Amino acid sequence: MLFNSIEFLVFLPVVTAVFYLLPHRFRWMWLLAASCFFYMWFIPKYILILLVTILIDYCAALLMERWSDKPVHRRWCMLASVVSTCAVLFIFKYLNFCSENLVALAQHFGWAHPKRVLDIALPIGLSFHTFQSLSYVIEVYRGRQRAERHLGYYALYVMFYPQLVTGPIERPQNLLRQLHEEKTLQHENITHGLRLVLYGLFLKIVIADNIGAAVDAVYAAPADFGRVGIVTAMALYSMQIYGDFFGYSTIALGCARLMGFSLVDNFKAPYLAESIGDFWRRWHISLSSWLRDYIYIPLGGNRVSVPHWMLNTLVVFTVCGIWHGANWTFLLWGVAYGVLVVLSKLIHRSRQAGSLWSRLGGIAVTFFVVTLMWTLFRAPSLGDLHSLYAALFHGGGTAAVHLAPQVWIALAAFVAIDIATRNSRFDIWCSTLPRPLRWLLYGTIVFAIIAFGSVEQHPFIYFQF
Amino acid sequence: MKQRSHPIFYIVLVVALVAAVAVIYRYTVYPKDIAKNCELMELVDEAVQSNAEIIYLGESSDFTVASYDSDHRSICRMMADSLDGPRVCDMASAATHAGVFYDMMNRLPHKSNIHTAVVTVNMRSFTAEWIYSKLETPLRKQQLLLRRGPALWRKAQLVFKDYPRWDEKERDRLIVKHLRRQAAPPPYANARAWDVAMADSLWRCGANPDTIAMTCHYIKCFSTVIDETNPRIRDLDRIVKLCNKRGWRLIMHILPDDEEQMAHLVGPNLVQMLRANGRFVKERYTAMGVTVVDNQGLLPHSSFSEPDYPTEHYDQTGRKLVADHIVEAMIP
Repeated sequence: MLFNSIEFLVFLPVVTAVFYLLPHRFRWMWLLAASCFFYMWFIPKYILILLVTILIDYCAALLMERWSDKPVHRRWCMLASVVSTCAVLFIFKYLNFCSENLVALAQHFGWAHPKRVLDIALPIGLSFHTFQSLSYVIEVYRGRQRAERHLGYYALYVMFYPQLVTGPIERPQNLLRQLHEEKTLQHENITHGLRLVLYGLFLKIVIADNIGAAVDAVYAAPADFGRVGIVTAMALYSMQIYGDFFGYSTIALGCARLMGFSLVDNFKAPYLAESIGDFWRRWHISLSSWLRDYIYIPLGGNRVSVPHWMLNTLVVFTVCGIWHGANWTFLLWGVAYGVLVVLSKLIHRSRQAGSLWSRLGGIAVTFFVVTLMWTLFRAPSLGDLHSLYAALFHGGGTAAVHLAPQVWIALAAFVAIDIATRNSRFDIWCSTLPRPLRWLLYGTIVFAIIAFGSVEQHPFIYFQF
Repeated sequence: MKQRSHPIFYIVLVVALVAAVAVIYRYTVYPKDIAKNCELMELVDEAVQSNAEIIYLGESSDFTVASYDSDHRSICRMMADSLDGPRVCDMASAATHAGVFYDMMNRLPHKSNIHTAVVTVNMRSFTAEWIYSKLETPLRKQQLLLRRGPALWRKAQLVFKDYPRWDEKERDRLIVKHLRRQAAPPPYANARAWDVAMADSLWRCGANPDTIAMTCHYIKCFSTVIDETNPRIRDLDRIVKLCNKRGWRLIMHILPDDEEQMAHLVGPNLVQMLRANGRFVKERYTAMGVTVVDNQGLLPHSSFSEPDYPTEHYDQTGRKLVADHIVEAMIP
């Protein structure tokens, strides 16, 4: 089910209301049933994949705890769980990519290699719940989290509907604990939750979807557009993907908050980052912290020699790129970020805290670099990327990017709110406003969503991961 | 501790906020939204402004002409010229069907000069190929804005995608699923099996790919057994009720299909199926007091102008014959 669909507008209040009406002991059942329903709205049979993963990780965690005095057994158990969870991800996400590239390689060398491609669709949000399951297994293995004995609660931890398909990627210490807590209906949770849902819908429907239509036109035929048009589309895509993903995360946070659950913040004004490293501390925080805790630090982090640290950084960002999708563009995107982060860190090591102007310069340069990197992310293939840059440097197209004036105004408002909430969050920031102003803001957002919201269907960009 | 307002205060505030937004939207952006997203509303407005006495609701069969035609009049225009008197308004738009016709008719004001509604019944519109067609999504979007009700709510439905959102794969899946449920003449288990078997046998015979494609199109477009659960039947039932309520005379005219080519490519079984469906529609609505003009089998193959797909696009002779048939039924 999509957050920006009419079904969800019915689903959300019903699930929230019944959650509060039920006694605490039945709530997990209700939330699990609702989460299954939410997930099965897309492709019902794929829930079986989730159930298999849940069962394997649930059993593995219990066994690891039972064998607390048998480290070899524990390690094997953890490895079996990690490998099986990753195998599911590999089959559905990477097998066809590997097969196609093997065939291409074989053809290049003149070897006979039959082309075998599985006719399967990628289950929605597979990469997200795989990482969430892995974090549970690893945390239990490390002894930082007790194994969950209740299968229902563990299944709910993986399947909790607000963050099931596009995160934030939660840790058991945060979410699993909260699932056991008895929640009471509180005014603050409802108001903060509704604010987040409203703002998230605004980001998705007004900002991301309207910009998406303009950007799609440029990427579909870059040669038709002039240089200004292409550069505008590149910059707009930065705002589109931010609006889209931040919008989803904000709605997810809001839905959870309505029931009294606090999910981790996934964004912290990423386009105000002063360096690439800073950007990754602000963008998709739940993924970057996952990569830090489960790959970067185990590899030695930065407490190693400089060449080793460079290698660690490259490995982490390559995994980050591949995590996003089975495509050379994502791989390149990840590797390029790895290189950029290394270079950025090397430069910043020798740099003192700067003046306001140098900070503003840092923000501008970072935004420029991130925007360039998003072209790798957005292009369907390397060939399309080449077409885009060929049109940018040699093109003679004359078409311009068309974006309605009200969308530019909404975009400006988004930037202003992002600056205002850089050290906070929309719902918390709203509380600081006087009541008349706050309600005027709600009214304006509702009006903008309905009057200027895109009527076309644009799936959330991160659904494909 | 901060004192909270009573919940009723918040409910009143929310209601007031929504009401204010609804009023502002209705008088600012709504007219532009209608102009941008709902072309069908223009047809409704034209019918209102022209003080029409007869409305004609049709799809592309009404206005599509053959390249060799010298007379480019639509069926509706030919009908109006023959009637020579009452003001007739043409409310035809491509790919529309009974569901859209109902919403357009319902949108017309209760008090008007209209006394007769002529509704086109396209037998293809009852089948999965049309119901799940790519053109259905834009039509359903327009229908949302066409419907009666607060403008804010209708636009909210549109923004929150209360319309079919099938992608190509899903569309194909739905069509195949529908065909699998449809009975087919022996020895085929169902319409899907019929479609596949025909394609296979023609391929083995070395038939022209265009012929194979056309044959399969015919099976997909017509191999449906219509009953009261069909969505178009439900739409036509609503139209009957609406016309009764408004006191309008309702005339349904069943469009002719290219039965000659259908029999030539697929065989007589499909023609029999089509005729049986036509009889079902005729008997059902005649029993409800509707004048049903059955044009099935009216036109020869030469009157059909579209060579690549089974359509109800006629040349000027075909359009004239259909129009005359309707006029005959209209004049007591």
